[in-house]
Amino acid sequence: MTLVVITGAGGGLGRALAVDLTRRGCRVAGFGRSLDALLETGRIAGDKFIPMQVDVADAVAVAAAFAALPAPVTHLINNAAVYPRRDILDETPASFAATMAINLGGVVACTDAALQQMVLTGVGRIMNVSTFADIAPLPASSAYAVSKGAARIYTRAIVADLGDRFPGIVINDWMPGMLATGMGIAHGLDPAVAARWGAELLLLDDPGLTGTVWEMDRELLSPRSLKGRIKDRLLLRPRRQARRLG
Amino acid sequence: MINRVWDVIVIGTGIGGGTIGRALAERGQSVLFVEQGPDGPRAEQTALNPSLADPVARTVRGFWPDPVTGLIDGQKREFFAPLGAGIGGSSVFYAATLERPAPHDLDHSASHPHPTGGWPVNDAQMRPYFAAAEAMYCVTGGTDPLSDAPALPEPPPLSAGDAAIMGRLAENGLHPYRLHAAVKYLPGCAECFGRKCPRACKMDGRSAGVDPALATGNATLLDRCQVTALRGTPTRITHIEAVHQGKPVVLRGKRVVLAAGAFGSPRLLLASTADWPQGCANSSGLVGRNLMFHLNEMFAIWPGRTFAGPSKSVGLRDLYHVDGQRFGMVQAMGIEASYGEITHYLRAMLDRSPLRRLSGLVRIPALIGAKILGNAKVFVGLMEDLPYPENRVTFDPANPDKISFTYTLHPELLARRKVFRRLIRRAFTGFRPLFLTHMPELNFGHPCGTVRYGTDPATSVLTPDCRAHDLDNLWVVDASFFPTSMGVNPSLTIAANALRVADQMQEGA
Repeated sequence: MTLVVITGAGGGLGRALAVDLTRRGCRVAGFGRSLDALLETGRIAGDKFIPMQVDVADAVAVAAAFAALPAPVTHLINNAAVYPRRDILDETPASFAATMAINLGGVVACTDAALQQMVLTGVGRIMNVSTFADIAPLPASSAYAVSKGAARIYTRAIVADLGDRFPGIVINDWMPGMLATGMGIAHGLDPAVAARWGAELLLLDDPGLTGTVWEMDRELLSPRSLKGRIKDRLLLRPRRQARRLG
Repeated sequence: MINRVWDVIVIGTGIGGGTIGRALAERGQSVLFVEQGPDGPRAEQTALNPSLADPVARTVRGFWPDPVTGLIDGQKREFFAPLGAGIGGSSVFYAATLERPAPHDLDHSASHPHPTGGWPVNDAQMRPYFAAAEAMYCVTGGTDPLSDAPALPEPPPLSAGDAAIMGRLAENGLHPYRLHAAVKYLPGCAECFGRKCPRACKMDGRSAGVDPALATGNATLLDRCQVTALRGTPTRITHIEAVHQGKPVVLRGKRVVLAAGAFGSPRLLLASTADWPQGCANSSGLVGRNLMFHLNEMFAIWPGRTFAGPSKSVGLRDLYHVDGQRFGMVQAMGIEASYGEITHYLRAMLDRSPLRRLSGLVRIPALIGAKILGNAKVFVGLMEDLPYPENRVTFDPANPDKISFTYTLHPELLARRKVFRRLIRRAFTGFRPLFLTHMPELNFGHPCGTVRYGTDPATSVLTPDCRAHDLDNLWVVDASFFPTSMGVNPSLTIAANALRVADQMQEGA
C-alpha cells in the first residue's frame, strides 16, 4: 500500500506533486507549517490527501508526525525549503542557522524518521528535491546555497551507508528546473509539468536509481575519470546512456 | 539476562553455535546466545566487501571489524578475511553449499589411508547426523554418481546454461551433479550467495539456527557482547567475562559451548589465563595449533558459445581422491567472465607477481577464447590442507582482539597442488582451462582444526564428544574440532557435529 510523504505540500512544487500523485491513486500525507495552505492543497487533491501541520525544522514534531501516519511510509519526497534572498552582510548567524534547520535539518529529520520504518521491510523510496545552487552560488543566496548543497552531500552519504545493505530502499536527487513558484522565477516552468516528471521518477520501481541525479526529465551522468573510461573499454562495458522519463 | 544462570551459554552464532543452540532450546534448555556483532535489521541484503575498511561501517554490516594478520611463509600480510561478526556469523554471507564429506575424509582404510589415522567419530556414526543437518538446513541437490550418500529432495530445475554444461562435462567422462545447497527456493528467491538473505530462504546459522531457537521461547540473544575470558576452577567453567556495549559484564551458565570460529575459539581459550596459566583447556599445548585452510584453484573454462548464463550449481568429485592422493571437490563459482574481465583479472594478478613484465601476453589466450568460444565460466577446485602443529592461531596479550596466525605452505602441499592442477587441466581437456590463480591461494573463509578432537588428551584438546579433556562443562562445536580439513566445504559437517554434540550433552545432563 503506497503512502507518500511530501514535505512543503502547502504550495508550489509540493502542492503540484501532491495533486499529481493523488490523481495517480497514491495516498499522500502532506507536511507543512500552514494548515490553511495544506487544506487548500487538499481541496485540489481530493480525499487521498492527508494534511499534517508539521514544521520540518522541529525533529521531535517530525518524528511524532511519522508515528501518526495511518500506515508505514513507502515514499518520501523531501521538498520543503526556503530561499530567503539576503545579502551576506544582512545574514546573521541566527538567520543562517534557521535556513539550515529547514533546508538541511528538515531533510535529515524526515529521512531519519522514514528510514526507521523502511528498514523493517527493506523497501522504500526517498527522493530529495535538489538544485545546482551550490555549484556557483548567486548573490544573496548564501544560506540557501550552503544548505541545499549540504543536502546533496547528505544524499550521497546515506547512499554510502545504506546502498549495499538495503538495495530496495531507493534514494536519489531530482532537480525540477526553474519553476514559476513563490520560490522560483516569474517566467519559470509550470510546477504541474515538473510535478509530472517528479511523480513518475518517484514511482519508478528500479533499484538502479539509487545515487542517480536527475534534472527535469532526464538523468545526469556523473563524470567518469579517464582511468574509469579506460577500464570500461577494457571490460567491454556497454556505453553509459542517460535515461529519460516518459 | 545478566544475573540469570543459564542451562547453556553459546558463544558465537554461526553454523556451529546457531545449530546447537536451536537443538538445545528445542529440548527445553534455557539458552543464551552471546554474539560479538550486532543484531541488525532482518531485511538487510549486505554482501561481503573486503574493500570496506572502516571498523564501524564493517561492524554494522556484520563483517569482522578488523583486518587479520597472517605470517605466511615468513611474510607478514594484513587483510580483511571473509569473516562475519553478527547473527549467523560468517554463514549469512556464504554460498550455502552443504556437501557431505567423503568417507575417507573421516575414516582410515588401506586403500584410503587417513593422515591422522581417522576421526574419533567415523563416517558411519556421522551419517544420521548428516541426514538430520540436511533436513534442518533444507538441503536440496543432485545425487553424486560417485558416492553412496542417500538422495536429497530435488531442487528447482537447472538453468539452461547449467544443464548444457553438465552434459558437456559428462561427455568428457566426468561425473557432474547438482551441488547441495541449503536454500528453500521460496517464490522470488534471488539465491543470495555471498550476501545476507532478507528472508528465511537461504538457510544459515541465523535462519536455521538462532531465529528458530528464539522462536521456541527458550533462547535469548545478547548481541554486541564480546567475551573476553572464561573463568573457573581446574575442572569447571564458573563464569564468563564479557563486554556488552562497552560495559563489563559477567555471565553464568551451567554449561558453556564455544562456537566463535576456528580463529575466535582458540583465541578466547588462549586469552583465558587468569585461572589456567597455559590458557583454558590447553594442558596439551595444542590450542590454536593445526590450523588448516583449503587451497583454492580458480580456473576459467570455455564450454562454447551456446552456453548462456553463469554456471553456479554444478560440482564434481572425479578429482577428489586420485592415485592415493587427497584433493577435493571442483565446483562452479557462479561467475561468467567476458574476455575483458579475464584479461583484466589476469593482468592484475600478474602485476602482483614476478612475471609482471609478461602481463601483455594474457590478452592473447583470452582474446582467442572470447572470439571463438564465447564467455568463460569460472570454477574452483577446493584442495584439502593437512594439519601441521606449527601452523597456528597466535595470541598477543597486548592485542587481545586481534586475529593473527602463522602459516607455512609445506612442500607436501605444494607438490600435491601441482598434481591437482595437472589433473584439472586433464579433466577439462577441450574446455581450454585457464588458471586464474598463480600463487597458492588459501581460503581464509574456511579455517579449521585449531581445537581438534581425539581420544588422547596428549594429542587433542577435545574428547570425541567435543567436550574439553580438561573441563567438565566446556564444549567446542565450530570448525575448530576438525582433525583434518576434508575435500568439501565445512558447513554441513559443523552442523551435523553440533547436532551430535547436542545429543551427547542431553544424555550427560
